[in-house]
Amino acid sequence: MLTSRRLETSDSALKNIPGAEPHSRLDPWWWLVVLVAGIIAILSITRPDPYWRIILFVRDGIGVTAIITVVSFILMLFVGMLGGLGRISKNKAINLITTLYVELVRGVPLLVQLIWWYFAFPVVIQQIGRWTGISFLAAYRANALVLAIFGFVFCYGAYMSEIFRAGIQSIPKGQMEAARSLGMNYFQSMRHVILPQAIRVILPPVGNEFIALLKDSSLVSAVALADLTRRGKEFMSANFNPIETWTMVALIYLVMTLFSARIVNYIERRTKFER
Amino acid sequence: MNGNNEPIIHIENIHKRFGKVHALRGVSLRIQKGEVVVIVGPSGSGKSTLLRCINRLEEYNSGKIVVDGIPLDSAQNINAVRQEIGMVFQSFNLFSHMTVMDNLVLAQKIIRKRSKDEAHKVALDLLKKVGIPEKINAYPSQISGGQQQRVAIARALAMNPRIMLFDEPTSALDPEMIKEVLDVMMALAKEGMTMVVVSHEMGFARAAANRIIFMDEGQIIEEAPPDQLFSNPRHERTKRFLSKVLDH
Repeated sequence: MLTSRRLETSDSALKNIPGAEPHSRLDPWWWLVVLVAGIIAILSITRPDPYWRIILFVRDGIGVTAIITVVSFILMLFVGMLGGLGRISKNKAINLITTLYVELVRGVPLLVQLIWWYFAFPVVIQQIGRWTGISFLAAYRANALVLAIFGFVFCYGAYMSEIFRAGIQSIPKGQMEAARSLGMNYFQSMRHVILPQAIRVILPPVGNEFIALLKDSSLVSAVALADLTRRGKEFMSANFNPIETWTMVALIYLVMTLFSARIVNYIERRTKFER
Repeated sequence: MNGNNEPIIHIENIHKRFGKVHALRGVSLRIQKGEVVVIVGPSGSGKSTLLRCINRLEEYNSGKIVVDGIPLDSAQNINAVRQEIGMVFQSFNLFSHMTVMDNLVLAQKIIRKRSKDEAHKVALDLLKKVGIPEKINAYPSQISGGQQQRVAIARALAMNPRIMLFDEPTSALDPEMIKEVLDVMMALAKEGMTMVVVSHEMGFARAAANRIIFMDEGQIIEEAPPDQLFSNPRHERTKRFLSKVLDH
């Protein structure tokens, strides 16, 4: 009786270890998101011209920015996982290819990469089509959205590979050995034992990558995509009010990044566990 | 195949190098079914390396190992052999993101293709056997080292292995927890499990082992039943080692 009581108390004490609080509690930085959203609302209500007009004008640009960011992010998680596994692979060819990929991509500015994919890559495809006589390659037309997403996935995938590699390598070697000694093969061990633990290590830097990507997506305005930044530029050149336009564009980016940061923080707190 | 005389573990002239270090220098060993073999020796003598070669966690450079009639040569065979061998590590290596129950169930479901109910039943029975059924929903970080090691033993047993390997199972434990782990191992030995144990626990070796292997500098120096080896070692190096570990 006495021992069972003691067990109960120790179990309930364990639920309150730091970092494992009930996750319904919102963290205090949400007020910053509310503050920035509030400023946007106040500006558009008190001075609908030009602020509300700006919002209506750039609305579709917000959608493009969101689509590029979310789609690229999901795809780059896969690239990052494959790249990370490739970087720790004992197979020399796979290791060489992924290492080369990471080193090359990290050495070229993102803007240059995006421009290359949009302006140079289609020409390369057309040339190949002409040389080989394959007509649908020769008639290839650039799709700005697809190539922009491709460019982001290609570039961020390299950074993501390094994050996955570091995350996987941070899991003690004994975990893999224990899984293998139970008869699981490499991929079963990775899937059920290593990756679920690595994800928790990887989550904070991956969250940061999402926010960095959201901001970097403004670079696509250089390759004929009507994202938030591009739409801002268009509104400005039609109305000549740089202060209002760029302040509003900055505030919209800010509310999106702050909101994302809070979501990342929430997921992090939910998946935290004691080692 | 000559029936019962065929050893369940047959190690022949194993060599292993780590870079310039020659860790195993021609080790040969035959272990019969149901035998309990304890390997002792100074640190760096290659005893853990030898143990890890048996389920190929460590690759060896030359030589041959056959476990239960299966030679350790192809990836397929290595996985087949690993399914017959349970391994217990010095640092427990429980899966830290899973509860005790999930630790015991995972490989049963994936490798043995057992249903959830069946795997749970096996797990619960084994946790009762190692004396901690109440920790079924705890995470590894929430239980003591001794309890973690007993869970690790139960996890290995859940695969119904024919052989159990123990790599210094009590070396990372506080003194008061060593006994609870050794008790579980002793019970296993009495049930007739084939066991290969690397350990410094001379008391356990004396009580449970059929045979003690003394290793030094990558070679087997001497092997004998415990009474004989402890009271009457033949080699000078064995005497020196035993005088250091037994005299206190």
